[in-house]
Amino acid sequence: MARINPGFTKALKRFGAFDVNACYNCGNCTAVCSLSDENNSFPRKMVRLSVLGLEGELKNSLEPWLCYYCGECSTTCPRQAEPGELMMSLRRWLTAQYDWTGLSGLFYRSLTAVITAFILLATGVLWFASAQNFNPDRLLHTGHYFEMLAIAGVFVFILLPNIIRMWMLTVYSRHEKIPVKKYFKTFGELFVHMFTQKRTLGCDKSKTRWTEHLILVFSYLSLLFTTVFLDWFGTNSKSIIALGYIESAAIFIVTILFIVARMKKSTEVSKHSHPSDWMFVVWLSLLGATAFVVRLFIDLDMLENNIWIYIVHLIILVQWALIIVPFGKWTHFLYRSFAMWFLKVAE
Amino acid sequence: MKQDQSKKSDNIQQAKTSVSPVREDSKVAYKKRIGVYVCHCGGNISDYVDVEKVRQVVENEEGVFLAKTTMFACADSNQKEMVEDIVTQKLDGVVVASCSPKLHLLTFRAVTERAGLNKYNYVHANIREQVSWAHSDNKQGATEKAIRIVRSAIAKVRRSQALEPIKVEAVRTVAVIGAGVAGMKAAVKLAKSGVLVYLIEREFFVGGRVAQWDNLCISDETGKELITRLYDDILSHKNITLFTGAEVVEKSGSIGNFSLKVKITPRYIRMQCNKGELQKAIDVCPVEVPDKFNFNITKRKAIYHNYPGEYPQLPAIDIENCTRCGECEKVCSSIDFNQKPEYLDIRAGSILLATGFDPYEPKKGEFGYGEIDNVVTLPQFKRIVHYCNGDKLQFKGRNIHNIAYIYCVGSRQVNGENKYCSRYCCTSNIYTAIDAKKRFKDINNFHFNRGIRTYGKQEILYDESSRLGDIYLQSFEDNPPEVKVVDGKTVVSINDILTQDKKLEVEADLVVLVTGMVPRKDNSIGNLLKVPRGRDKFFNEIHMKLRPVETVIDGITIAGAGQGPKNIVESMTSALAAATKSFTIVASGELALEPTIAKVSKDDCEWCGKCDDACPYDAFTPKEIDGKTVAVVNKSVCKGCGMCLPVCPSNAIQLTGLSDDEVESMIDALMEN
Ligand SMILES: Cc1cc2nc3c(=O)[nH]c(=O)nc-3n(C[C@H](O)[C@H](O)[C@H](O)COP(=O)(O)OP(=O)(O)OC[C@H]3O[C@@H](n4cnc5c(N)ncnc54)[C@H](O)[C@@H]3O)c2cc1C
Ligand code: SF4
Ligand code: SF4
Repeated sequence: MARINPGFTKALKRFGAFDVNACYNCGNCTAVCSLSDENNSFPRKMVRLSVLGLEGELKNSLEPWLCYYCGECSTTCPRQAEPGELMMSLRRWLTAQYDWTGLSGLFYRSLTAVITAFILLATGVLWFASAQNFNPDRLLHTGHYFEMLAIAGVFVFILLPNIIRMWMLTVYSRHEKIPVKKYFKTFGELFVHMFTQKRTLGCDKSKTRWTEHLILVFSYLSLLFTTVFLDWFGTNSKSIIALGYIESAAIFIVTILFIVARMKKSTEVSKHSHPSDWMFVVWLSLLGATAFVVRLFIDLDMLENNIWIYIVHLIILVQWALIIVPFGKWTHFLYRSFAMWFLKVAE
Repeated sequence: MKQDQSKKSDNIQQAKTSVSPVREDSKVAYKKRIGVYVCHCGGNISDYVDVEKVRQVVENEEGVFLAKTTMFACADSNQKEMVEDIVTQKLDGVVVASCSPKLHLLTFRAVTERAGLNKYNYVHANIREQVSWAHSDNKQGATEKAIRIVRSAIAKVRRSQALEPIKVEAVRTVAVIGAGVAGMKAAVKLAKSGVLVYLIEREFFVGGRVAQWDNLCISDETGKELITRLYDDILSHKNITLFTGAEVVEKSGSIGNFSLKVKITPRYIRMQCNKGELQKAIDVCPVEVPDKFNFNITKRKAIYHNYPGEYPQLPAIDIENCTRCGECEKVCSSIDFNQKPEYLDIRAGSILLATGFDPYEPKKGEFGYGEIDNVVTLPQFKRIVHYCNGDKLQFKGRNIHNIAYIYCVGSRQVNGENKYCSRYCCTSNIYTAIDAKKRFKDINNFHFNRGIRTYGKQEILYDESSRLGDIYLQSFEDNPPEVKVVDGKTVVSINDILTQDKKLEVEADLVVLVTGMVPRKDNSIGNLLKVPRGRDKFFNEIHMKLRPVETVIDGITIAGAGQGPKNIVESMTSALAAATKSFTIVASGELALEPTIAKVSKDDCEWCGKCDDACPYDAFTPKEIDGKTVAVVNKSVCKGCGMCLPVCPSNAIQLTGLSDDEVESMIDALMEN
């Protein structure tokens, strides 16, 4: 027996704007969705649970992660209930539910909170830089260590506990004991989906979005590797330097394409932009651009006199690593891949 | 397929060439000159019946002057030819052997009339439905049967007589019973058309149910505004006489001339009254009874208004509950307990019945009704919403936030008798739910329905309500929602088919049973007028599509929700239709009725009353004629159904147009070898 909570959709509106109450349960959205199947039926079911405000059910659902937002459902919906945008909003909402710190929810709901956090971090970096007398070597050195530390810290203290919480909600509480063997057997799913996002292929008519995503994921992860482990900013190896240029340029170009699409609102997926969507693409773009310029300045021997460019890069990096990665849209990439794995585990 | 077509073209050839030569000898020998037309029906008949053979055989029948086959008897060209034949050949009897008389009897009667021949000299023989279609497996047998059927039609037409319609006087007055919106609208329409109207309302105030609803969908005026407009129209017409507190208690006569006895219950208040004193009288009246007008959620005095400003604007004393304590008389000089019920005799050419409906009254315990104190009906809810001021919705002193509406209560019953959908309730309920949500703070609406039927334009209300966040939960009829009290709270639960049958529940501050419409509990008027009721127990029309406002009782029309669930728009439409129909009955002051009715031979009749018992229309009355009691037929009531014929022991009754002689000759012709 579940109690209905009609206030939920109002609360959900802060995670994205849409008129989900308009839904009259025709089921067109589910019918047209190429990713929905008998066992995991969406988006109508998710629309219904949201309208009824059955938060418990929603928290236990993996379905929102199975949607890659082609937007067919929203185009088809005769009531303009925007089921696609609902799925997106539910992903944001779920992120907030998984996050033990509660900061995800805060940042999604309040733009002021995000801006305040960004300003605080920027001030921190500036303060640190001035404490180091704007010495390029020292700054580059700390920047490098910060990256390593941030990756490890964010993963151990935020992402890992959150994934465990996700697992508790979606697998542990919902299914009989699952043998450990099954987790190992299906483990491959996690990586396949994380690196290839192959499900998008089942949903988009054109392969463009999938290709763009693939380039972005690979460029991003390899740039991370290049800077952290191959010490791009410190190395003399020509090939590593070239690699870094290619990666950062690719990130910049693909994200610019995304930004233009969002500005033009040309596709369903780019029609509705929550602040967190803007932040994600813009910061990633800036990250690629500033990294490129920093290395360029190093190669042209201009960094000594233009250390400000590195400080800008560092500010963006810190904001990215401490806010967007652990609490923002970046986590979708992670949860989505885990959801695919969990789904296989629970099958 | 191909074969069929070639056969058809053969038939056409035949049809063109097979005009029989006129036989000089037959013209003189018989009194009637009969024309027979045998139809191919484009193969429908001629594929199985040898129509040419039929023609050849019947051509030799006594009295047949000409016999033809035709491809399509109903075609314009053939009709023209028939007219020409009748005129030039001086035919005085015509038979067409073709399809069912249901299809074309009237067509060919009209043909004979156009040719100046009385239409009762036309006889129809059905050789399609009764022959070719029924015996497609036996062509020879079919042809033989067709010959017999045509012969029997010829036998009848030989004896046919010209008949003239029966003329009766029609009183140019219509009695409209019930002054709800339907009755009022019909009265205005009739008065405008120029006939006199008696508008007879049982209550002391006009407007019927609509007076009770205040805000109305789908146009946003209140019930009071609608009634004010109709009432103003009524007052402005000298042709309308309105009776309130009036009831028809006796009826006699028939179409064109009904006599009604109307009982008028007094208000016990003088017409010329002092308004201020009357208010005082209401204030001092010590008797308090549940107010029916507000569906018993409030109380009223024995001297009462329904609402301030109702029509007519004069309170009344409810004498059944009045204790005659005399308090009111002390403060008000207009009270008059000496008024007596009056009886009026009125005459009307037609009666228009618009007595409306009752809201369904749930049984005790039906969804907690009568047992749980916050379970109410939709009519009650409308009154609650109406009487709440400010921004809080309250009932029995408690604030209402969560409202659960349970749909189809008393309608679409699986086990009960009311199988029909009440039509108005989905719309009206959603409208009221939106109204409540907009006017009061923090209202959550939960609609427990069985599929929403806000048909037509009314769909926009459903759209609006869901966009406002109303929640719709749905179940099938075999698994209705449940209302229970849990820890002092009223909880409504449902297995929601829109959420995979999941059991969901709502803690409701108020449960509204969306009750349907039922026929008026008191059917005394229906019984008195003998208006039949349908399976749904509402008054029944003759034919839903073709004669939607007429009843089998000639002269009585029906309108409004008394005929079945209707909203105001539909009630108005039917009122206008019924008014038009009643108008056509009385308009010319004279009625032409079918002459094919029963005739009693006063020599043979020994009044035993058996015919009276058998007649479904009450057409017989005993009458003294020449010192002898005999049965007399009321010509305007008899429909010529023939029920009386076989029961008459002295065979004193004949049906005009279907006399024993005619029928026997037909049977003989059928049997003849
Ligand atoms: C809760 C509720 C809400 C509704 N809301 C809407 C709405 O918002 N919009 C809409 O379009 N429709 C609405 N309707 C429908 C509307 O009430 C009907 O369509 C309308 O009342 C039908 O009018 P009527 O004249 O046929 O019948 P009634 O209104 O029932 O009037 C019949 C009249 O006949 C009188 N009468 C009965 N018997 C006799 C007798 N023997 N002799 C003399 N007089 C007699 C009665 O006293 C009454 O005055 C609603 C109905 C309900 C129940
Ligand atoms: S298509 Fe729109 S209205 Fe239909 S079920 Fe999906 S969300 Fe609801
Ligand atoms: S109108 Fe709606 S509530 Fe009324 S009986 Fe029909 S379906 Fe049920």
